[in-house]
Amino acid sequence: MAIRAPEKEPTPPPSLRAQRPRPNFETWSWFFMRISGLVLLFLALIHFTLTHIMHDVVKTNYNFVAHRWHNLGWRIFDWSLLALALAHGLNGLRLIVDDYVRRPGRRAATKATLYMLTGVLFAYGTMVIFTFPRA
Amino acid sequence: MSTVGTPYRGKSGQWAFISHRVSGFLVFMFLLLHVVDVSLVQDKHLYNEVHAVYGNVVLRVFEVGLLFALVFHALNGLRIILIDFFPEAVRRDKTLFAVVVFITLAACIPGGYVILRPFINGHF
Repeated sequence: MAIRAPEKEPTPPPSLRAQRPRPNFETWSWFFMRISGLVLLFLALIHFTLTHIMHDVVKTNYNFVAHRWHNLGWRIFDWSLLALALAHGLNGLRLIVDDYVRRPGRRAATKATLYMLTGVLFAYGTMVIFTFPRA
Repeated sequence: MSTVGTPYRGKSGQWAFISHRVSGFLVFMFLLLHVVDVSLVQDKHLYNEVHAVYGNVVLRVFEVGLLFALVFHALNGLRIILIDFFPEAVRRDKTLFAVVVFITLAACIPGGYVILRPFINGHF
């Protein structure tokens, strides 16, 4: 990511803007990580506080989930957390794979496994959240 | 890579970078596992049986680790966003990273205590 040029440089803003590369996939990836990260900060920390701090982990049994998912709002909350966390994590891991898995064949295979695993878990999680019987 | 420069360079920044990666990786791995264990809720008895394992002290320690990774990643992410949108903040990078570490410890040590409390009190 480019940062602003030193302040003392007399270049007016329009030419700085012209120096910027055209937005591409990585630009949107960068933007998505910032936005989803901000939203996840709230979703994930609320989720963790509720299910690990306010209620002991042992108390979050089947009845706890059934009671919570009686409320459609919590189902939407949990699904948003599922979708955003998986997408944010998947994109993060994609960058990590690009950095450390250098051989093209192995890189493609690692990414294919990662995308498939995440896709299956997203579909499975979505199915579980929305087909769970309403108590 | 452009020639303009990158905020991700330097001493505390390098530690922040690697910690951000490691914590993000660990939280994502846990997330994959967590989707599977919560999905067992389709079978009441299976879910309750598997879920009871989380009360074990080993998994409680694991849970505390998750708390540290999650809170650190969230706060360090905020630091990154701050520097991305207000590049001047990079001059205070060392202070910002120290604040991230301090808040992480200040939040997670009491949080970790609450998670481990049943074990400390002998209920395990």
